[in-house]
Amino acid sequence: MAFRSRRALAVFWKDFLDLRRNPVLLLGMAALPLVLVVVPIIVVWTYVRDPNDSNLRVIALYYDPTLPLNANAGRFLVERTLLDWFGMFLVMPVFVPILISSQSVAGEKERRTLEPLLASPVTAMELVAGKSLASLVPALIITWMAFVLLCVGVDVVAWPLGQGPMLPNTLWLFGILVLAPLFAFFGNGVAVLISARVAEARTAQQIAALIVLPLVGLVAGQVAGFLHAGPVYYAVQGGVVLLLDVALLWASVRLLDRERLISRWG
Amino acid sequence: MSGISVQGLAKRFGARTAVEGLDFDVRPGEVFGLLGPNGAGKTTTVRMLTGLLQPSAGEARVWGHSVRTDGEALRRVVGLLTEQPGLYERLSARDNLRFFMKLHELDERQVWPRARSYLERFGLAGRENDPCGGFSKGMRQKLAIVRTLVHDPKVIFLDEPTSGLDPESARTVRDAVAELAAEGRTIVLCSHNLAEVERLCTRVAVVKGRLLAMAPVNELRRTGSALEVKVEGEAERYVQALSALPFAPNVLAEGARLRVMLADEAQAPDVVACLVGAGARVRSAVPAQRPLEEVYLELIREGRV
Repeated sequence: MAFRSRRALAVFWKDFLDLRRNPVLLLGMAALPLVLVVVPIIVVWTYVRDPNDSNLRVIALYYDPTLPLNANAGRFLVERTLLDWFGMFLVMPVFVPILISSQSVAGEKERRTLEPLLASPVTAMELVAGKSLASLVPALIITWMAFVLLCVGVDVVAWPLGQGPMLPNTLWLFGILVLAPLFAFFGNGVAVLISARVAEARTAQQIAALIVLPLVGLVAGQVAGFLHAGPVYYAVQGGVVLLLDVALLWASVRLLDRERLISRWG
Repeated sequence: MSGISVQGLAKRFGARTAVEGLDFDVRPGEVFGLLGPNGAGKTTTVRMLTGLLQPSAGEARVWGHSVRTDGEALRRVVGLLTEQPGLYERLSARDNLRFFMKLHELDERQVWPRARSYLERFGLAGRENDPCGGFSKGMRQKLAIVRTLVHDPKVIFLDEPTSGLDPESARTVRDAVAELAAEGRTIVLCSHNLAEVERLCTRVAVVKGRLLAMAPVNELRRTGSALEVKVEGEAERYVQALSALPFAPNVLAEGARLRVMLADEAQAPDVVACLVGAGARVRSAVPAQRPLEEVYLELIREGRV
């Protein structure tokens, strides 16, 4: 069975078209990026508003008791916020593909479009590729657009403190260009896998969304000071997610087998 | 051969056997009816023949392609109309068709005139750019039929093709099916509408987990040996005479016609002799054709496990 990119692109084209005409899903996809962009800008603004506030130093010392006396606590807290928020921001490329992929696979079952689709010459690999592309492309576009907005927002607000742009920095660029695609692939893989096993898109979405919890847990651990998140930490995280991506791809192709799908839901 | 060739086909889901021991051939240009009650294994059979399910035993070739080994090539020559239209409702009719053209790697510019001619024929011309979500049930069904035909399949499986259609549209679909068969395509029709099956199919197979019967429609309607006798005058007056026969046939009288149900064709001369003995002037006595529905129900009852 040869892989025909034309057929995979046909699946991508159809799913992308379908997504564009689904206002409810588009709204759901826009909500999280909005929160992930607006919240840190507001937090940064509160630090920048009165950088000499003595409370800022107290908070800064909680994070780093060795903070020098002449250090700018406001600037320290802005940098700290951006580091902590980086982990939170990575929830977006995981979450958006979950919303899309749950609809695209379990939705085919719900709408009874699966059987005519599987009766066409498209192969399981082409189906996975097309559907994954239809979920990864919007997820990455949204993530990158949100990142640009975050950079602009943070830099405009924090300019008086930094006297220059604070974003993008090397870590964020690594995250957005390397980790975000890996995380998006992970979210998509989990959603495809789950939606191939459940009957309804909503169920698939709810179950798949649970994978966000460990990520949020890691960020919470980081904020609480249990985890020291830095370049090495995120490089390791990226490596682990890459391995999971390969495993998920293999499992998705196996699960999108015609026989399994039809005998279960046809 | 081209068309469909099925030998010993069986499908089991775990311990449950959906169908077993199916043997039949369908020739190119033939409209073949696949009949059976719900859960009889018709859909499973069609799914095996369209490469969606692998048989547990046996083999089938569809237009020369093995259902076991040539799945992709097989799906290129097969068109499947499922019981539910299965359309993408947010997409326009044109985009629904365009998607399937792309899956079959066809050039839209070359295929669209064909699709358009079907859309015109089924009264969907001018609605190509409307989202399918706004279509009526009949319109969706007609668009699903166009989608089934858009890649010019050699073998077409139709599951309840006229479901939800008004009489005029149903007739258009029936005419189209007859034309497709005349062009040399092989057509398998699954339907509970036995009147439609009688009109369209040359042969039928009745299944209920296994093959209960397979014959040309006319031959099947003659099974059970009914005799239709035309007499002079009112036929009603000879009913009593016939009931005195040793095998006491079931008799229906209507005007000058008697319909006599026989257990065996060999009883026909006794019926005629009895009528003549009772003073009837017999104009004709021919094997009666029973409605397909009657034969079908009898087969299903006999085949009850």
